Amino acid sequence: MIDNFLNIGMMHYLIFAFILFLTGLLGVVVSRNLLRIVMSLFILTVSIVLSFLTFGCYCDNSLDNANIISIFILMVSVLQIIMAVVILYKIYQTNEYLDAEKIKDKEN
Amino acid sequence: MVPDFVYFYVFAVLMLVSAAGIIFAPKMYLSLLSLFFLVIFSSLLYFGLNAVYLSIFQFILCGVCLFVYIFLLLKKIGRLNLGLKLVSRPKIIVSSFFIFIFGLCTCVFFKEEFTNSLFEIFNFVAQKSSDIVAFDLHMFPLHLIILLVLVCAVVIRVFLLSSQNVSLSSDGNSSKGETK
Repeated sequence: MIDNFLNIGMMHYLIFAFILFLTGLLGVVVSRNLLRIVMSLFILTVSIVLSFLTFGCYCDNSLDNANIISIFILMVSVLQIIMAVVILYKIYQTNEYLDAEKIKDKEN
Repeated sequence: MVPDFVYFYVFAVLMLVSAAGIIFAPKMYLSLLSLFFLVIFSSLLYFGLNAVYLSIFQFILCGVCLFVYIFLLLKKIGRLNLGLKLVSRPKIIVSSFFIFIFGLCTCVFFKEEFTNSLFEIFNFVAQKSSDIVAFDLHMFPLHLIILLVLVCAVVIRVFLLSSQNVSLSSDGNSSKGETK
């Protein structure tokens, strides 16, 4: 039993990535501030990159592939953040707040 | 050298604490600091997985360059009216419960599939793929990434400066109105 905790393997990293994914998901669901939702999406990205790298590390000849895919994922994530910041700024300019529920109420 | 399990558990706990900080921090600058620490700790965890390229990339570009820039802008971010409320407490409890159920279902699915098809397929692909990727040939996106990070920094700066100008001009109008 203790050996399972002490010998770190693929499953440990995958389970941790999954817990991190659930934490990010909780952040997306629970937050009302749009900027914080974007940051929670970044947590999701980190967990996905971690699971990619875990598969890459523990399978033969695929760590370089995992590196490349992860760099692409991070690149897309940076793009996502740029777009999100621009859209959020526009929303902030018109409403002067970034509260998702207030914006929803206003639309209704 | 630090044992593997100490390295893993320390950084796993630190990353979870940072993630919780992002979600539950009462101020925006604390949330941003948590994000910064999440990036740093995750890059160190990638280092433990021998993913040196990604680790260095994330540590230097995202962790140091971009976030130093954000630190410089923290005061301006603090001036913006960014309410950081969460949804109501019953909604938090219900959504946590559903996410827990989702996690449980996923665990059961993986437990079934890892012993059957999914892991076999992945293992088969990993064993049969004989093409060894030369990492140097795939370094070209790095230029694009550096460019993107710089563009991101410029965009954030420009938008924050213009928002500051808008708020200053609105203050000026209101003060004129008061004097009249």
